[in-house]
Amino acid sequence: MNHLGYLFAANLFVWGAIFFYVFTLIKKNNQLKQDLQLIKETLPKDSES
Amino acid sequence: MREYFNHVKAIVWKDCVTELKTWELFSTMFVFALLVIIIFIFSINLSIVNSYDVGPGILWVAFIFAGTIGLNRSFMLEKENGCLQGLMLTPADRTALYFGKMISNMVFLILMEAMILPLFMIFFNVDLVSHLGPLLIVIFLGTLGFCALGTLLSSLSSHLKTREIMLPILLYPLLVPVVIGCVRMTGEILAGKALATQLKWIGSTACFDIIYIGVSLLTIDHILEE
Amino acid sequence: MNEDNESGPPILIWFTVLMFIAAISAIFMYVPTEKTEGIIQRIMYFHIPCAWLAFFAFFIVFVCSILFLWKKDREWDIYAHASAEIGVVFCSLVLITGPLWAKPVWGTWWVWDARLTSTLVLWLIYIAYLMLRMRTDAGSMRARYAAVVGIAGFLDIPIIHFSVLWWRTFHPKPKMITSEGIGTGMANEMVITLGISLFAFTLLYFLMMEQRIALEKMKDEIDRLKREKLYSN
Repeated sequence: MNHLGYLFAANLFVWGAIFFYVFTLIKKNNQLKQDLQLIKETLPKDSES
Repeated sequence: MREYFNHVKAIVWKDCVTELKTWELFSTMFVFALLVIIIFIFSINLSIVNSYDVGPGILWVAFIFAGTIGLNRSFMLEKENGCLQGLMLTPADRTALYFGKMISNMVFLILMEAMILPLFMIFFNVDLVSHLGPLLIVIFLGTLGFCALGTLLSSLSSHLKTREIMLPILLYPLLVPVVIGCVRMTGEILAGKALATQLKWIGSTACFDIIYIGVSLLTIDHILEE
Repeated sequence: MNEDNESGPPILIWFTVLMFIAAISAIFMYVPTEKTEGIIQRIMYFHIPCAWLAFFAFFIVFVCSILFLWKKDREWDIYAHASAEIGVVFCSLVLITGPLWAKPVWGTWWVWDARLTSTLVLWLIYIAYLMLRMRTDAGSMRARYAAVVGIAGFLDIPIIHFSVLWWRTFHPKPKMITSEGIGTGMANEMVITLGISLFAFTLLYFLMMEQRIALEKMKDEIDRLKREKLYSN
């Protein structure tokens, strides 16, 4: 009854996938936030000139 | 109501006339189905495997693969010369357009199947003649389900850039219940059982047909919208 | 909306983290080891919540697709997209943890059992859904097509379920947790652990949804600003 390896692998997959997904989401979110900030900063200047 | 039927009839007639001129769709489907069957015959050893066990599956795989080609082609022809635009400009209802395309797809598919069945009988040495009635009912139900869903999805995928790839990817997973049901029913019929013993499969396939005709009628307006 | 987002997530995040700590400690310390299956049975406390979330997420896709076709509001399209993506993530996890449990217990990685098969078909349907979204340019066409596929895909689930079930009636029913067996065949501690785990995963779903929706909205905003800039010049 020693299936520790399988249990470990399953946990690895579950947590790995969840953390990977969450981190890609957060990373993309932050990047988009920066992009948005950048665009918002540059836009008014362009329209003024 | 009468006008509606006339619209459907006009679209089916238009497709049939185009097809009669070129025989392009029909011949492609037929040859393709034949090729699928022959490839399967090469990949299995019929002297070991019982052809009654593998036959139904191969038959339906051939129908569905060839049918996909037909579906892809039928809306592509409409797109090519801006014919779809013209059809949508006519006062005909969108659902009439759907029914017209579905029926013409079905006509071609059933013609192709009628040609394939005798060849299947010869190649696999299977006796179809004594079970022809129930078999035709099963083939009709399966083809109806395939065309109901297939016409909806091909009208959708014809607007995409990657239409030839997207249609099977969208269609096949959704088609799983029909394939399982039809292969099982065909197998049981070829084994000599009455169709009445397969009521649950008839029910599930008929449910599939009705659900997807319903879904198509409700959503086709949103697909053919410009 | 922005103020909401500032105060909203932290509470949800901390609550989710807390629930997950509770769930993990319950799974590894509180719940007794199952007698016949041994330690491997603990996978179930991840497996079932993942399966539940996948179905729940696909149901949300279905509801949002209908609402989109009805209201033609981009909001519903975003929700459907986010939910489909999260559903596919959890559905993949179900398909990975399932064989990992089956190998030691049943002796094979994969059995063409009704539940496994229908989960696999479901996964394929929603992969196709996401591919359709990826391959189509953003706009109302993509939203409408995706909504149609979202509706057609979900309506297929009951038919797939029954046909796959009948497809495999001749096989002996493998020993696994069925819907009616969850409550009856398990000890109290197991039910409680499973409950905590289900709750934690459901919270995680909402957390992911929030992030995914915010992401899509920001993309929209950037697109809008870019277009504004393009046309103003």
